[in-house]
Amino acid sequence: MIGYVEGRSPLHRAHPYTTLALAGAILFGAFALTRPAEVWLLVLAGAALAATGGLLRASVRTALVLSLPVWTLLFVVHGLLGGAPLVAVGPVSLSAPGVARALVLGGRVTAIVLGFLTALATIEPHRLVEAMTARGVPFGRIFLLTSTLTVLPRMRERAGHILEAQQCRGLRLGGSPVARLRALGPLAFPLILGALAEVDEQVLALDARGAGTGARRTALNPPADSTAQRALRWLLLALIVAAYAWKFWRMRG
Amino acid sequence: MTALVTLEHVRFTYSGASRPALDGVSLTIAPGEVLAVAGATGAGASTLLLVATGYAPRVVGGTLTGVRAITARRCGVVFSRPWTQLTGLCSTVREEVAFGAASYGLPPGEVADAAARAMAALGIARLADRDPARLSGGELQRVVVAATLAMGPDMLALDDPAAELDPEAADALYAVLPDIAGAGTGVLLATPDLDRAARVATRVVRLEHGRVVADGTPPRGLEETTVAVIARAAGCPAPYPTDVAALRARVAR
Repeated sequence: MIGYVEGRSPLHRAHPYTTLALAGAILFGAFALTRPAEVWLLVLAGAALAATGGLLRASVRTALVLSLPVWTLLFVVHGLLGGAPLVAVGPVSLSAPGVARALVLGGRVTAIVLGFLTALATIEPHRLVEAMTARGVPFGRIFLLTSTLTVLPRMRERAGHILEAQQCRGLRLGGSPVARLRALGPLAFPLILGALAEVDEQVLALDARGAGTGARRTALNPPADSTAQRALRWLLLALIVAAYAWKFWRMRG
Repeated sequence: MTALVTLEHVRFTYSGASRPALDGVSLTIAPGEVLAVAGATGAGASTLLLVATGYAPRVVGGTLTGVRAITARRCGVVFSRPWTQLTGLCSTVREEVAFGAASYGLPPGEVADAAARAMAALGIARLADRDPARLSGGELQRVVVAATLAMGPDMLALDDPAAELDPEAADALYAVLPDIAGAGTGVLLATPDLDRAARVATRVVRLEHGRVVADGTPPRGLEETTVAVIARAAGCPAPYPTDVAALRARVAR
């Protein structure tokens, strides 16, 4: 699950800036908090955010899949190869501070991934465009952000079409790892070359629609904002500032 | 009447190309005319369209020499592949059509009116609430033309607009071009489809290897339509009828 998922949850109905602020708070909060228990509270906050968006199971599963390689690497580097004191777990010796470090770093990654997967799944790109347009954000920046947010679903859809076409021409996907690797070529090359060719035409098409005029675009249907949501965004900002202040105060102490 | 675009002895070479795509081209495009630029693949019709609308060399690069004067206030461009011309930022046809007008910062009411007029002109008002990504190629190309018209261009340039369409959709698209020109818009149509061009063009330019080899009102430049080829083979004296209606008129005489 990477990309927008239709729904009617509070996050789907919220102003896109509010959802982005919640995901951003998890991101900045992850680097402000330094103890395993604090970071894992943030992971729980990420899970709560996903639950609010009605996507708890899908978000947690995808976040775990995405952060598993990082977890493995952290466990090996910090847990197995970390310095003393060592804790014996069966035949394996673990570094206690290394494991704590791995828990902090891994927790940060998991929390951030959870937060942004939920934001991606609950912010409809069009509503984000309208919200940014209403705030007078230049179109170039809007396009950059929304293209980045939607690139994975679009590439996945395109890859599906290419895969079907190549399978019709006899491409076999199963078999040994070498055979699977060999099958990547007929998928990757058309995917990349096709995307580049289409980008050229889309740039021309967007320019032809006045995207490069520099005039302030008219927002036709901006999403509703509310005093409560604005207050929540300011509160999140204040919490982040406080978290960093606390972090630096502890570092000095 | 002031020409929308004037080209005098224009020579255009793409970056890295050994020979020019356009060589010594001189022509004008006037308001209210449908100028068909015909030629085989590689003759330079698409390049002429890019030069006449100002996209070459500004966007596509290359070298331009000669005189080019573009007095058209706004040029709308429609390319052959409709799905690469979607903004990817709109969730309904109405928003997609309104995108260009909104780019110029017009008041919301004016943008909505312009979009409604353009959709009515192209006969796609019933599609207003549909997701543009879920339309057929023919519907989508009409959405793209409507989106371009909603910007109020004085010149509409179309590059082989029916290349990806079925015959019915292609006929429907070509049929609206005289109406668009009738409203005072200059229409520049690059196409290899001489049969359909014969029905709508008020003037035809034929290109070969980047050079103009014929320029005039039909039937000049349209000697290769299916009807003209049959009439010539049947021994009909020149000028040959270019479409079925002209053939019927000739037979009646």
